[in-house]
Amino acid sequence: MTTDKLAVDQGLLYYLIKHIRPELAQKISEKKTIETMIVGLGRQGTRHAQLMMEYGTNVTCGVAPGKGGTYVHETVPVYESAESAKRKYPDIAVASIWKHYSSAKDATIEAIRSGIPIVVLISEFIPLKDVRDILVEARKHKTILFGGNTPGIIFPPEGIKVGMLPDIFQAQKTDNKTGPKGVTILSRSGAILYHLSDALASAGIAQNGVLGVGGDGAIGSRFIDLVSRIMQYEHTDLVVIAGEIGGMQEELLAQDMEANPEKYPKPLVALISGANAPEGKTMGHAGAVISPGQSYGTYQTKKESLEKAGVTVVNHQRDLIDAVRSKLNRIYFDIEEYYSKMRKKWDARPPVKTWGTLVTNVMPNNLIIRGYPLQEIIAEKGFLETSYLLLKGEFPEEAQLKELEDIAKEAIKQEFADLKSITISSDISKTLGTLMLVDNKLADFVRLNSEETKIAAYTLGRVLKYFAYILGNLDQLESSSVSETSFSEMIYIGLVKEKNPDTLKVKLLEAMITACVDHGITPPSAQATIILASTRANYEVAVAGGLQAITDVHGGAGQKAAKFFLSVVEKAEKEKLELDESTFKLIRETIKTGKRIEGLGHRIHTQDPRRDVLWKLAEDAGYAKSCVDVSKMISSAFHRVRGMNLPINVDGVIAAITADMGLDPKLAKVIFVFGRTAGLAAHYFEEINTQPQMRRIAFDKATYKGPSIREIK
Amino acid sequence: MKLYEYEAKQIFEQFNLKIPKQIAIIESVEDLVDISLEFPIMIKAMVLIGGRGKAGGIKKAETIEETENIIKEMLGLTIHGYPIKKILLEEAVDIASEIYLSITTDPATFDIVLVTSASGGVDIEEVARTKPDEIWKKVLRNNDKSLNAEIGKKAADFLVDKDQNLQLVSEKLQQAIESLYLAFQDAEAKICEINPLIVTKKGDIIVADAKFVLDDNSLYRQTPLLKSIGIDPGSKRHDVSEQTAFEAKAYQIGFPFIDLLENPENFVKDEEKLYVGLVPGGAGYGIFSVDEIVNVGNRYFNGKVVPINFMDSGGGPSISKVADMFHLLMNHPATDLIITSRFGGISSCDVFIQGLIMSLRDRFIAKKIMIPVYGRMVGTDLAAAKAFLEKAKLETPEPLIDLHIVVGNQKIMVDVIKDGIEYGFKVKKQSENMEGIK
Repeated sequence: MTTDKLAVDQGLLYYLIKHIRPELAQKISEKKTIETMIVGLGRQGTRHAQLMMEYGTNVTCGVAPGKGGTYVHETVPVYESAESAKRKYPDIAVASIWKHYSSAKDATIEAIRSGIPIVVLISEFIPLKDVRDILVEARKHKTILFGGNTPGIIFPPEGIKVGMLPDIFQAQKTDNKTGPKGVTILSRSGAILYHLSDALASAGIAQNGVLGVGGDGAIGSRFIDLVSRIMQYEHTDLVVIAGEIGGMQEELLAQDMEANPEKYPKPLVALISGANAPEGKTMGHAGAVISPGQSYGTYQTKKESLEKAGVTVVNHQRDLIDAVRSKLNRIYFDIEEYYSKMRKKWDARPPVKTWGTLVTNVMPNNLIIRGYPLQEIIAEKGFLETSYLLLKGEFPEEAQLKELEDIAKEAIKQEFADLKSITISSDISKTLGTLMLVDNKLADFVRLNSEETKIAAYTLGRVLKYFAYILGNLDQLESSSVSETSFSEMIYIGLVKEKNPDTLKVKLLEAMITACVDHGITPPSAQATIILASTRANYEVAVAGGLQAITDVHGGAGQKAAKFFLSVVEKAEKEKLELDESTFKLIRETIKTGKRIEGLGHRIHTQDPRRDVLWKLAEDAGYAKSCVDVSKMISSAFHRVRGMNLPINVDGVIAAITADMGLDPKLAKVIFVFGRTAGLAAHYFEEINTQPQMRRIAFDKATYKGPSIREIK
Repeated sequence: MKLYEYEAKQIFEQFNLKIPKQIAIIESVEDLVDISLEFPIMIKAMVLIGGRGKAGGIKKAETIEETENIIKEMLGLTIHGYPIKKILLEEAVDIASEIYLSITTDPATFDIVLVTSASGGVDIEEVARTKPDEIWKKVLRNNDKSLNAEIGKKAADFLVDKDQNLQLVSEKLQQAIESLYLAFQDAEAKICEINPLIVTKKGDIIVADAKFVLDDNSLYRQTPLLKSIGIDPGSKRHDVSEQTAFEAKAYQIGFPFIDLLENPENFVKDEEKLYVGLVPGGAGYGIFSVDEIVNVGNRYFNGKVVPINFMDSGGGPSISKVADMFHLLMNHPATDLIITSRFGGISSCDVFIQGLIMSLRDRFIAKKIMIPVYGRMVGTDLAAAKAFLEKAKLETPEPLIDLHIVVGNQKIMVDVIKDGIEYGFKVKKQSENMEGIK
């Protein structure tokens, strides 16, 4: 949230990394970012991944066995193991572990072994024997391990937090510029950290690093392992430790300070809790228990040994403020400004929960698929390439495209035993969905293949086969030679029946199909597929469900529009009217009978981005004839009748072109449904890869998280 | 979890260490009726707190009369305030040598430490202070599953070197050391201590006294072991005593709670004082807030403020668990005032306030005792929490009349505590005046 941040290679976290992994520090310094990884994506891990990112932490990836290949918060890739994550992101410097105590050991050791220098072990209640195994490994790899049972670490000047600490810590600010100076706090307890920095902030004392060392009895880094090193960091002016009863960390530090004062060049204030604790009763933290009869571990032993080493020991918030203030004698930021920042935070309305899609950005008059404007895709790319783009975010390489083409053609050739037993309904979507559901070959292919682009290509081949059957073109399609016919040509043959069609027609038909591939998560068909996917329904069930939601009301207007355009042209010829006059008259007559004019109006676009490119392609191919002319004048004619501006939509444009190509008006809807199959497949896979199952889906709360806007190269 | 001696010995026996014949665990003199005794026997108080030998909790008896007298006397004893309720009777063994042997966790590095001495049967800390040469100590850095035989041998050699009588049992000693290590690792102990490990005249090696502390964090996977020594895996105890009723209740619901008052079930209040219950947030602040109550009480209220509990209410509790935390304190006979702090990190202010309000509404409807609640909330989900609180106060003002929550951190917690205590005294005075009028 801070707009002005300290460069990462000036900060304390970088300083700690540099000490143990100088080469990695060099890379961080070049990249100007510290990459982190989150291990364990249960409820807490997932939630705090988001809060960390919101704070500004660079969360590059996650690790969760069984979830490899999926995404968390739609954009953070998840890997099966720390090792595989590290292969992809070799510069990860910090890992946080959010696993249940019963599986924390293996996950932590894995992270340590992958060479990550800083490991933050959030998990609490880890068995002692497991902790010892972790410590053996950490020593071997010189890892700085925080925790177990740490709330994490936060570095306010750089705006980096790893863990669950709330955003209440304050960096040095001079003239609105963030500085690196302040006190560094280390604490065994989380909540104390918050109260402590709360107290310090109220006195204008900045924190340049706040480190939870962990509340468990056995932990990775102890005060003695960290305090001296932190005091060597030039921007730390004072160190505060928050200790508590139990164990001998505080006593060990005191002994070392007494024996080696030169290692401790900065002042230290210790807040010790547990002055009034009973003996022999563990106080929440596994480490916080006074063991009867021992010469360490009590409030008294800690206080006395620290005071002997010259440390100021406090047990009260006000005393802490006084002690730190008297030693530093300065403030680091404007206290009023701090409070007004906090007040703003506390007074804020609860944030709206959004979720993300990376497929298509739907904006009025613009459709951006994976960063590319759809009109450019229509002009430049084929249907298979676009279906690949929908799934992968990039266009395929030539070899990949060839493979997909082969798969799609193979799908056409493979038999479909029961195909002809299915009754063809007047509702194309219904028949199509039914065929998809009873198609065992498709089901087998989906089950046996893990690559989503291949599944989509196979689906498109099969859907073409269904259409050929519905339209009575199956024999022609199946008899076309696989080696001599391209998939684009097969589309033409399957939908139109014409053998050896000319290239311009083939391209124009494919462009219209491509124009229909997707409209983001806004149309009901995509929403139906997404809802089915969220229940983890089978792929073909979810896609068929989406396809069957394409009706006369949604996406099926083309057929009626094509008929309308043909009637306008016919009327003009019969009554010897100019086309615009004929359009006007027919609209007026149609409206009088209470019917709608199809192909007009759009929920989102006032000028459909797919319109001009399709008109132009039709013109280039020589198929922009009377119906296309009508489609260009229909809006103004409609205005003349009703006084309303209703733009032509993509259904209308496609209807006009198919009519001018002399194709069956039915094809207008077929084109739409065929194209949309690719989009539905993409939404299915996005849902299962990036969202928890059975989530509550608020479609109006979706935000586009894909690439902004780019040009096709 | 600390084990009673007889439980510890059962575990050691499972790991092939010899123990004296266990005759019985009794809770009264009458229990002796069904038991046949071969004298001499040892009579040992089963308490968790240490130092029972000096306090008269370990006696030897030669006759039945002596046995009865010792038992009667012992059952009336308390050791460091903890009454003796159970007594172990076991065979007394003859002693040729007494050895100290322990495997524990190094408090500094958390490694495993093996310590042994031929001067067993006495306070080992004392030996360490006065005759450090008598102690052999080895820190084991690798957390191996079994003890490296070389190390076992070195330890045994040291013992033989210090006490030539042990020459004949050197191999048995080494085995005993390795067995103890296995017991420590397999049972996932924090502390395994045998003092003394007795070598009899016949050359048997016997565990005469045993201290065994299990790691609480590993209990979930030690169910077979716990069952094998008769412990209900769902129960819990302190290192010094069994739980109070409130502690047991909290444990059952699933949050750490400790009574700071003695005999809390039947507590008699000092009317001069204000007793403060705490729902403080995480464990660390739980400990600190007890200190803050005492500090504030001493500095501003003549030492008349008494904290009644420790509680760890952090770590993301559910709404109903938060409600139970407040119910527990409102059902506690001592509570005059509850001070609460929610500094939402992992746990959410929203869940906290919903739970708190749920408990107040439930109590109001069920006509249960209502105790004033004073506190502050800051951090994760504060905005939603604030909205919920405001709405709740509008919808059901009556149950929330004595709920005072500062929203945000413009006032640091210790100042909120001070305000809360002042308010607590004011309410207390008012209710006393009301009583007076009646």
